[in-house]
Amino acid sequence: MAMTIDVERLGGTTPVTVIALAGELDASNYEQVIDVARNAYADGSRGLVLDLEHLTFMASSGLFALHSAVRIMRGETPPDAEEGWGALHQMAQDHDAQASSVRLAAAQEPIARVLERTGMLRLFALDGTRAEAVAALQGA
Amino acid sequence: MTTPTKGRRSISVSATVDELVKVRAFVRDSVAGFGGSKRVADDLVQAVDEATCNVMLHGYRGNAGDVEIEAALRERKIEIRILDRGPTFDPTAASLPARDAIPAPTRPGGMGVGIQLLRTLTDEVHHSARPDGGNELTLVRSIDGHGEED
Repeated sequence: MAMTIDVERLGGTTPVTVIALAGELDASNYEQVIDVARNAYADGSRGLVLDLEHLTFMASSGLFALHSAVRIMRGETPPDAEEGWGALHQMAQDHDAQASSVRLAAAQEPIARVLERTGMLRLFALDGTRAEAVAALQGA
Repeated sequence: MTTPTKGRRSISVSATVDELVKVRAFVRDSVAGFGGSKRVADDLVQAVDEATCNVMLHGYRGNAGDVEIEAALRERKIEIRILDRGPTFDPTAASLPARDAIPAPTRPGGMGVGIQLLRTLTDEVHHSARPDGGNELTLVRSIDGHGEED
């Protein structure tokens, strides 16, 4: 199954972009997610919600894209492709998932499992719904 | 080999990441055909995607080639073999991080979280160099459950 990306920009005191992913996120399409995150930051968004309700598969390349999105929303360059083991370890130490400007919403069980297994839940808050994620970012 | 196997099946794809979608569908269909649960299918789909992606990008490095995936059920274990003709590379020899370290997700084909996932999602991972060139990576997963099963 291919992946589709639906992007919605929300106003408010903290401009938030919601990126809804549907289908399968893998090595053939993860760069699209990084591009969308980069564009959102360039357009002034300072919060990102990844709505995963209709995403059925996420490869480790997808984890890389999420990692990149966090760095982009912090105004940093995306991680170096070859940083390897060290990068996320370092990131986990200086990161508070609840304070992150990137939130994940409505992840299906297999996706939540891969996030949990790889330690990514230390980096992302996982919300039950897209609305909860948006509210958390906008301080509503 | 005299051990009975059930419904051995295979697929051959070209070594490009656009083909991973077919590989995942093949694994999902095979596990269902063997009577495996969705949970077992999810885990094997994840593992085979990682391993195959690694072969395509780390092994073939953009060169043309094929990757063959075989699936079989033997004594309640699902065996998936990934065969390529790329340079010899043994992912099972990759060093693992310290217990509390978290591997970084690298770009596909990098040596990051994918290798760790392979080990987590399967019961056994074996690599051998093919005598006539290339690699054979075998992933084994019990159809009945797993140490990590919830």
